[in-house]
Amino acid sequence: MRTVTLAAVAGLLATTGAHAAEPLDLVGPVSDYKLFVSEQTDLLVDETEAFVAAVKAGEVEKAKALFAPTRQHYEMIEPIAELFSDLDVAIDSRADDYEKAEADPAFPGFHRIEYGLWEHNSTEGLDPVADQLLTNVKDLQGRIESLPFPPEVVVGGAAVLMEEVAATKISGEEDRYSHTDLWDFKGNFDGSQKIVELVKPLIADQDPAFIKQIDANFEVIDVTLAKYEEGDGYVTYDKLTDQDRIKLAAAVNALAEDLSTLRGKLGLD
Amino acid sequence: MTDFPLRTSRRGLLVGAAALATAPAAALASTEAEPLHAADAPIEDAARLSDRISPFGPHQAGVTTPRPANGMIASFHVLADSPADLERLFQRLTDRIVVLTKGGPVPEVDPKLPPTDSGILGPVLTPDALTVTVGLGASLFEDRPWLQPAKPRALVRMTQFRNDALIADLSHGDLVIQFCANTQDTVIHALRDIVKSIPDQLVLKWAQAGSVPVIAPPPGAPPESARNFLGFRDGSANPNSADPSLMDQVVWVGPENDESGWATGGSYMAVRIIRNNVERWDRTPLLEQERIFGRTKVTGAPLDQPHGTEAMVPDFKADPHGKITPLDSHIRMANPRTPESRANLILRRPFNYVNGVLKNGQLDQGLLFICWQADLEKGFITVQRRLDGEPLEEYVKPVGGGYFFALPGFADGQQDYLGRTLIASLSPTSQDSSQSGPSTHQVQD
Amino acid sequence: MTATETRTPPLSPRTARLALSGSAALVLLGIGAVWWAASHAVPESTEGEIAVTINDAVCDPMALTVPAGKSTFRIHNASNRVLEWEILDGVMVVAERENIAPGLNSTLTERLKPGTYDITCGLLSNPRGTLTVIPTAESQAAISAPEMRTFIGPLAEYRVYLNRRASALVKATAALSDRIEAKDLDGARAAWIEAREPWRQMAPVAGRMGDLVNRMDPLAIYLQGQESDPAFAGFHRIEYGLWAQNSTDGLAPVAAGLAADAVELQTRIKALELTPPDLAANAADLARRVADQAAGGQVPYSQTDLTEFTADLEGITRSAMLVDPLVAAANSATSAALHQAIEATQATLTGFAVDGVYPPFSEVDAGGRKAISASFETLSTAIAALNPAIGLE
Repeated sequence: MRTVTLAAVAGLLATTGAHAAEPLDLVGPVSDYKLFVSEQTDLLVDETEAFVAAVKAGEVEKAKALFAPTRQHYEMIEPIAELFSDLDVAIDSRADDYEKAEADPAFPGFHRIEYGLWEHNSTEGLDPVADQLLTNVKDLQGRIESLPFPPEVVVGGAAVLMEEVAATKISGEEDRYSHTDLWDFKGNFDGSQKIVELVKPLIADQDPAFIKQIDANFEVIDVTLAKYEEGDGYVTYDKLTDQDRIKLAAAVNALAEDLSTLRGKLGLD
Repeated sequence: MTDFPLRTSRRGLLVGAAALATAPAAALASTEAEPLHAADAPIEDAARLSDRISPFGPHQAGVTTPRPANGMIASFHVLADSPADLERLFQRLTDRIVVLTKGGPVPEVDPKLPPTDSGILGPVLTPDALTVTVGLGASLFEDRPWLQPAKPRALVRMTQFRNDALIADLSHGDLVIQFCANTQDTVIHALRDIVKSIPDQLVLKWAQAGSVPVIAPPPGAPPESARNFLGFRDGSANPNSADPSLMDQVVWVGPENDESGWATGGSYMAVRIIRNNVERWDRTPLLEQERIFGRTKVTGAPLDQPHGTEAMVPDFKADPHGKITPLDSHIRMANPRTPESRANLILRRPFNYVNGVLKNGQLDQGLLFICWQADLEKGFITVQRRLDGEPLEEYVKPVGGGYFFALPGFADGQQDYLGRTLIASLSPTSQDSSQSGPSTHQVQD
Repeated sequence: MTATETRTPPLSPRTARLALSGSAALVLLGIGAVWWAASHAVPESTEGEIAVTINDAVCDPMALTVPAGKSTFRIHNASNRVLEWEILDGVMVVAERENIAPGLNSTLTERLKPGTYDITCGLLSNPRGTLTVIPTAESQAAISAPEMRTFIGPLAEYRVYLNRRASALVKATAALSDRIEAKDLDGARAAWIEAREPWRQMAPVAGRMGDLVNRMDPLAIYLQGQESDPAFAGFHRIEYGLWAQNSTDGLAPVAAGLAADAVELQTRIKALELTPPDLAANAADLARRVADQAAGGQVPYSQTDLTEFTADLEGITRSAMLVDPLVAAANSATSAALHQAIEATQATLTGFAVDGVYPPFSEVDAGGRKAISASFETLSTAIAALNPAIGLE
């Protein structure tokens, strides 16, 4: 029986062709998503520890090398991380959010350190910023642990990540000093795709064309990003050709459009 | 007296209107709005939300149809790796154009889902004289080997003229859409609908909205040309857009244009975003302004007939040294009214734009210049070359735009769609390469 | 509309249905049975208790039919040994009654959803009977979708907890196996105690996986040959070796089997589907089972019962507290009683600790055991009140 096989694979109650997803079918995806987020958060904490240690040791090159892979974990869990607005600001806000921009003493977090590392090629004055970043990341870990994930946030997160990329990242303004934007993209895309993978079995039977289209656009992204891989990561954002930027933008816009229906398709409003 | 079949009288206008009414291409559904010419100012209180302009016919609407108060040019990057992709894009565009220009209730969906429509026009779409006109840029053809052979003969990437300061983010594009409607909301609604409907094949590159003033003409008088932001009437010497045979010569590609068969019924489109240095212009003496244009500011009458009307034709032959109408005045350089310059006629259908404030604190205002012609080289390019060095350059700065080829029209019915003749012209071998791109991606089962 | 408002498999509060994915077939079968029932006018319900007599080898009768909803079974133990009686959905325990002494009766009230179930009849090796549950109009009255949504979060949280516990069990049983292979008696004992913690914490759910429990956790007293029965395996077989025989001899294959079963358990936990009433019902059931067992103890050789009870309490609390926020909003007194019972049970257990260490259970006298039993009984009652307070019963 196909439905049974499907359910066995997904760990979910089978939904027959005649029945749409039911609310409790989301328990599996939501809990699997929490496990995924916890895993990524643990990695974020571990790698932030190493990143902060490098900053505090004055090892500019090492800190630069750790910057992008560390924050990639944050980008992956953004739909949940951004629920804690105080921490999101403290960890990931940009200079634009402050009146005096980079010169503003309140400018914190990853981007403050990025600014110091790349614009001044120095870790000078970054110790307290780095310490605070680690404290905040650990605080985030604890809060995520005790948070029952709201299903609409989880499901909606797939689209949120695409909206993020479309609205504020495709322009290359996120990692403006390091130009490591492609790492962030990868984090956002993987985070979104994870959610899609988890809920896919609930939709696949009713709406195969929808799934096919989403998969196709994710593949465009994967193939396009793969062209820019270098070592364990990516080349700088300025090396992205216009043609590929447009390709990414179209796939991101199409995914944002399609994924915006995900909540409704799963009965969440 | 004149070599050019210009609109010269009220009678001419009415004849033109009758011709328009019988033309199958662009019949007005509304009987209330008096037919206008392409560049006439829209008539006050005449526009209705129910005005409907048919999108069907041998030519696209939005070219020779009367210009409503609002317009916009939106330029896109196109994602199409094969003829099949391009066909799909054209068909999707056609579907949206038919729905948007027809009007009617917006489909209701489960409220848990995002609505299919932005809702800015309410639950029932009003046609509002909307036209959606699609043009293709040279890059669309040049970047795709399978499409290169089909490129219209005169279509090129817009080159920089002497006075131009083109901004990359405001120039060119694979595909352009001109939206025109009575109200700005309808224009914006249509743009948002397209952006939402076709996100995977169209990525917005730039857009410029504009408008033209709505004017109440004096009783019994013909409609007037709208004024631009320099205060002058723009379009006075336009060829009569209500004369189909003239339009066949001036605007529409036909057999005599030496184009591929698929292009018949299309038209070249030149778009220019021309920033006006309005502060400086306003500090320029009136007489100098009038000499720069070659017309009186108040009525638009040619300088050799200062008490006449804008419809009157200047007699340059009688003024060979430019004592009355300077040789370097805008209208004289643009249209010297010689037998040879007849081949350079273009149909202008521009809008004015306001974009707020520039970094220097000056107003960012100007002209969204749009003109149509059967031959780009003989039309806009030649005219603009003649204008190189005109005194008006001190006050205007073209910063963006591009050249495009507006597709031929399409008929009502399932089989036809915008761009069908182009797709059909592509060789079957190139269509074999259609097994790529997202639209044909196979998902594992 | 892509999402349907109706939830076809009706919920069965208190049945604590723990469907493995394979039981989807049963769900489909259940839907079919509704149609059948509708067209054949089967009586919608019957009153009174359903009597089942368990003889030495069979149930009498071997086939039962009841309407969906609440049914009360009166189980008469006509055999000559203590037994437990279970209703099984595939390999899943839907309901059970433990410690039924020879010659005595016990009742089990359970809300059952339509489907076909197995019933156990004495020894594990005995053939099983069948229980057919026929749908009724009432059983089809679906719980509204918006209400269901509020349980996604708690159920997901619990699933995360179970998955982590299962993962801890896999690690701990592998470590136990490793120590036994190394013939490290002290290390093996410590590893055994460590492995029991996640096992007991998962007990509200794992205890219902009949076949796995029978392999991983059978008590010798329920087996024909007691400690020498070939089916005596799993935790208690190892416990018997480590504490009663003071040796790791012969335990290596048992430990390897246990570790393999822990992996199997983890797989099943991943595929497990819980329903909203399960959170409280499973917890209440386990609390009651612990109350039943407190007099005799559940780890006879290691005598680490107090540690086990603490892990039980943690698992019970985790499950029940997930619905507590909903209960607190609906009925604060019920919530307060829950908090009080949890604290009292905790206090009862820690009261036995000496310098933070639990003594062997043998040092807990009958009065102490009674107190433990009573506190878990109270806890079970407090938790049993949760579902009715939020319309799940």
